[in-house]
Amino acid sequence: MKLRRPKYLVETPTSAMNDIAFILIVFFLVCASVEPEDGRSQVIPRSEKNEDRQTSQSTEVGLTPATVTIDGTPYRLNEFQSRIRQILAQKKTEAERVVVLKSQADVPYEHWIAMTGIIERAGGIVTLLLEEEQTVNLN
Amino acid sequence: MPSMAMGDIAFLLLIFIVLLARARDESHLVWQPATGTELVKPANRNASVVIDKQNVTYLNGRPVQVENLAAELEALLGDLPAGGRTVLFKVHKDVIAEFFEPAIEAVSEAGGELHHVLEPAPNPSAVP
Repeated sequence: MKLRRPKYLVETPTSAMNDIAFILIVFFLVCASVEPEDGRSQVIPRSEKNEDRQTSQSTEVGLTPATVTIDGTPYRLNEFQSRIRQILAQKKTEAERVVVLKSQADVPYEHWIAMTGIIERAGGIVTLLLEEEQTVNLN
Repeated sequence: MPSMAMGDIAFLLLIFIVLLARARDESHLVWQPATGTELVKPANRNASVVIDKQNVTYLNGRPVQVENLAAELEALLGDLPAGGRTVLFKVHKDVIAEFFEPAIEAVSEAGGELHHVLEPAPNPSAVP
């Protein structure tokens, strides 16, 4: 008696492989490209050094993690917005609308970005006041 | 029309695009954006500065000393015209001024146009 040999499928169907690979790569591309880029543009003129400060007529805003001051006078956060608007509304030229921002070293970015946002929406141009590092040799 | 090779061509093109995209990959950096309102998309993106949770500064995904940031940005931006010198600035929300202000100063010194990357505030009226 002759046994019939069963027919096995020896080759896997590969015709759809390209389509599958294509769809997989499109999927990974879409997943990988979701990086946040929305935000706020800011023009920051070069920072003022301490010695130039006396000559400038600009408003000075001081920032600490909990307080905000305008020309040395402390304000609550909700008062700051209206006060800076009032001050900047009186300024006519662009040079007058420069607001010198002096932040304490421990001010978090989130607070800084919120305060500079208020200043810019009020028409101010933020410039940074950075402390210059000086090395003093003691003999 | 012979369309048998179309899949292979598309596959190779996509690999090429993926490789290009990986060159500026910053997915390994841990930072959480601060919140803001009235957010806009950047006009272009020429460089990206990240300050992560550990206060480490990166330029295009590569760690960099803040003292060298201005020079490296200048080299990167070259003679690009104004309006085309956007530097994406991604800072972890809790990083303090001691670390991010010198980086802002460096961007300004290099003639870069700063674009703070923020996330929309869940309740915009709560943001001052």
